[in-house]
Amino acid sequence: MSLLRRRRSTEFIPAADRYPVEPLAGALLEVTDIRTHFETSRGLVRAVDGVSFSLERGKTLGIVGESGSGKSVLSRSVMGLLPKNGVVRSGSIRFEGRDTSQLAPDDQRKLWGTQMSMVFQDPMTSLNPVMKIGNQITEPLLYHLDISKSFARETAVSLLSSVGIPEPERRMKQYPHEMSGGMRQRVMIAIAIACGPKLLFADEPTTALDVTVQAQILDLLQAQQRERFMAMILVTHDLGVVAGRTDEIAVMYAGKIVEKAPTRTLFSQMRMPYTEALMHSIPKLSNPSHTRLNVIPGRPPDLVSPPKGCNFSPRCPYVQDKCRKEEPPLVRAEAAGHEYACWFPAGTPQGRAALERNVVAGAMSGVTAETVRVGTTPIGGGIKSGTTTTAPSTEGST
Amino acid sequence: MSEQRRNPANPVALPGKDEGTASERLVADSVLGGMPADSATIQEAAITAMTASGRARKRAKLGVAAWLAIFWMGLLVFCAVFASLLPLADPISSTDAAAIGKGSSADHIMGVDSIGRDLLSRVVFGIRASLEIGVGSVAIGFVVGGFLGLVGGYFKGRLGSLIAGLLDTLLAFPALILALAIVAFLGQSTLNITIALAIVATPILARISRASALSWSEREFVLAARAQGAKHFRIIWREIFPNVLPAMLSIAVLGIAVAIVAEGGLSVLGVGVKLPTPSWGNIIQGGLPDIRTAPNIVLFPSMVIFLTVLSLNYLGDVVRARFDVRESGL
Amino acid sequence: MSLHTFAQKVLQLVVVLLVVTFFSFCLIKLIPGDPVSKIIPFGTNLQKAQLRRDLGLDTSFISQYLTWLRDILTGDFGRYYNNNASVSSQLTKSLPVSLELMVYAQVFAMLFAIPLGILTAYRSGSKFDGATNTIAFGLLALPNFVLAIILAVYVGAKWKLLPTQSTLDPFPLSPIDNWRYMLMPTIALAVGQIAVYLRLLRSDMIATLQEDFITTAKAKGIPNRKILLKHALRPSSLTLLTVAGLNVGALIGGAVVIEVIFGLPGLGYRIYQAILAREYVALQSYVALIAIAYVLVNFAVDVLYSVLDPRIRHVRAAA
Repeated sequence: MSLLRRRRSTEFIPAADRYPVEPLAGALLEVTDIRTHFETSRGLVRAVDGVSFSLERGKTLGIVGESGSGKSVLSRSVMGLLPKNGVVRSGSIRFEGRDTSQLAPDDQRKLWGTQMSMVFQDPMTSLNPVMKIGNQITEPLLYHLDISKSFARETAVSLLSSVGIPEPERRMKQYPHEMSGGMRQRVMIAIAIACGPKLLFADEPTTALDVTVQAQILDLLQAQQRERFMAMILVTHDLGVVAGRTDEIAVMYAGKIVEKAPTRTLFSQMRMPYTEALMHSIPKLSNPSHTRLNVIPGRPPDLVSPPKGCNFSPRCPYVQDKCRKEEPPLVRAEAAGHEYACWFPAGTPQGRAALERNVVAGAMSGVTAETVRVGTTPIGGGIKSGTTTTAPSTEGST
Repeated sequence: MSEQRRNPANPVALPGKDEGTASERLVADSVLGGMPADSATIQEAAITAMTASGRARKRAKLGVAAWLAIFWMGLLVFCAVFASLLPLADPISSTDAAAIGKGSSADHIMGVDSIGRDLLSRVVFGIRASLEIGVGSVAIGFVVGGFLGLVGGYFKGRLGSLIAGLLDTLLAFPALILALAIVAFLGQSTLNITIALAIVATPILARISRASALSWSEREFVLAARAQGAKHFRIIWREIFPNVLPAMLSIAVLGIAVAIVAEGGLSVLGVGVKLPTPSWGNIIQGGLPDIRTAPNIVLFPSMVIFLTVLSLNYLGDVVRARFDVRESGL
Repeated sequence: MSLHTFAQKVLQLVVVLLVVTFFSFCLIKLIPGDPVSKIIPFGTNLQKAQLRRDLGLDTSFISQYLTWLRDILTGDFGRYYNNNASVSSQLTKSLPVSLELMVYAQVFAMLFAIPLGILTAYRSGSKFDGATNTIAFGLLALPNFVLAIILAVYVGAKWKLLPTQSTLDPFPLSPIDNWRYMLMPTIALAVGQIAVYLRLLRSDMIATLQEDFITTAKAKGIPNRKILLKHALRPSSLTLLTVAGLNVGALIGGAVVIEVIFGLPGLGYRIYQAILAREYVALQSYVALIAIAYVLVNFAVDVLYSVLDPRIRHVRAAA
């Protein structure tokens, strides 16, 4: 009885006791050189191709990239959610010091919900349409934790109110279709955090939502993360989303991390031209209206037969012959924790020279020295399509 | 049911048993071995795989099984038409009393029936009645039902709802009982059986064509035709009907199979095609009393029905897969 | 389902019932020539006049229908003209047999189809899936009367494992005997249904398993068995339920051939006898009853449908 009361008083159950706890020292998650390839009729799709990173407890890592860059596959690979058939995987994933990539399905399942969980992109389709909200939240509670039904219900109600859902008691009895998209995503978050995971994946959690509620959901995620001391991996295609909310950012391109840095460093000293292009593609409020939107020319490379050399070279304004032949390794920059993969990094003398050469050579007719501002604070301008000579200009074909 | 795309690499694969390409399988794959890989990458891969080979696949060659089915149906039609030219004993008058109860022999491949008539000959001549009933009833249902459905689907006003109500009511009758009752009351003859089964088939085919016409008549090209001042009848005939046709055809092919089986059922109940004209159903019926001593009389026509139904079911699935008819839309 | 839509549905139901009974009533008009001389060709003039009055042939068409309908609704289904037995007395004996057979066949079919459908969907593309589907496709093409004949001849007559031709009256004997008589008809009816249900459930289940909410369930750490049964089965079972519901209605009378082959004294068997004996009045009543039952069952399925899927409930309420 006393146990019950104690649990009731805490709004939320720490679920660490079902899993051998390692000393708090060391990173929560250490991913080394993981690769996830899909066997398709066209050939091997290298969705994730040699990615390494680590994540401390309670910290947030942003993974940014265009659609097709492999960022969603990365988060699912790390969590272990991908199908077994037709998927080739390698590399190691250490969660609290334990290699989870080799776990049997049943052991892996024990981690899901209690140690790591995921908030998905589309709340409209991610909730079971024929199950009441309440049951969807209590389900993992009842399965993973040894608690009574009534207590699971109470926990679910308090979870709902903690994710900012008014009248949680009434909502418990509703079906997903009776709620708005933003509300449903809140429910998804409540489900994901129900069993107190140490690591939360948020896979484009706001992409499918109304712009007006995007910030609310992101704030909620951040608040919950701080409150519960969870580590979070925030996957998004929008640099603006991760800007103020992450400790570290990894930029992915064609299944590889091309730049990784603490958030501040990344925004002040971005080196990779792709990061720079992503940055440029965020519309600025300060721009005059009807300013042309900046787009990255071309489209993400075919992951079955990626281009030779640097994967970004066909779309890169800095591109030189070397880029088309040799793939740049991930190297350290001056700032601590900053890595990038580029032969002619932006914001360095080599980069400036490379860009200059391209402009002078006139190989890129659409780009002028003025439009491609070399530096870290872009002001307007546009990288228009047709800047590259090799990439097909068929944006939006996917 | 939209997963009925066939795999050209495996021509014998049944349409229902879809293996798909690796990428499709990945996306479609049983999730619980992992989960649906719904990332943009895989989706893209799957989409390109599907659009690249998917269109080609629709025009791809028919598989071995489909050709076998076509061959079997072709053989039946040929035999039905040229039955009297084939070297067969007369199915009604020629008897061979010595062969009764002897089973298959060189003279009588399938053996003889209970009064000594050559079973092969009866089965071959029986094709006529069985196909007449199967094809005839579905053809009537196709024309009448198709017309009702097209009109009901195109005109959404009072006429449309009147037809919809009529079809719903007809569908509210249990099919076999309806056919049985009609034949019982009308009197048994090939024509009456055909009419009875046509009455059963009509609302089914009408519902298909109505559902399909409903969705097609919303399309832009129909609106465009209307805007150009085309007459209603012309729009229905030239714009909508060709699009409704595949769905109706696939169901009609299955319908022929159902009608053939229904004739068999009616015969077993004693209200099938009247003797002495042979039909597959009444040959089975005639063999029932002697089934323990001469099972061949029942088994051979049963086998022929089985193969025919199998072929027609398969061809129906092929039509559906080729034209990508979705059952959910029906 | 809101009260309003429910009321609308009931109204529709009444209209359909009226039309269906009217069609059944019209059946007797299909008899070529004079129905009276068809029904009792050897009756005396007095009997013929009596029958003519019974059938209401001396009154107008509509009033004939209304009288007939009133009789049906009050439980007077007419009588046999050969032995003067009332149809309703036959009905009370034969309907339970048919219902029993129908329930057994459906339960039997579901018992096989649901687990197989779930398994083949779960392991779609596997050898097991392929083999199951091939067999199902073959079973679809096997007419149930052929299967019934084979069973009756071999299992029943040759090997004498199970009894056929129960002419016992009343039918329901001891539970064991009852089952022995029911087993083969049940199998003969169910086998084709297994194939249909299995294919339906499999394809719907495959579609459901690709849904995002299945991934969500998986990410919760719920075991596959629970996901399949708790999350995937219900949204996948709507088509199955509809078709099964339609079959319930169809099987009440649709088992005629099976009942005749196994000599099971159900409704179908009575219909068969009525046809042979030219008992048109009884036949008409049977057909009307089966049609009414069929319509009512379909109505029930429709209502149940909206209970199973709250989305439909929602859409219908909105519409």
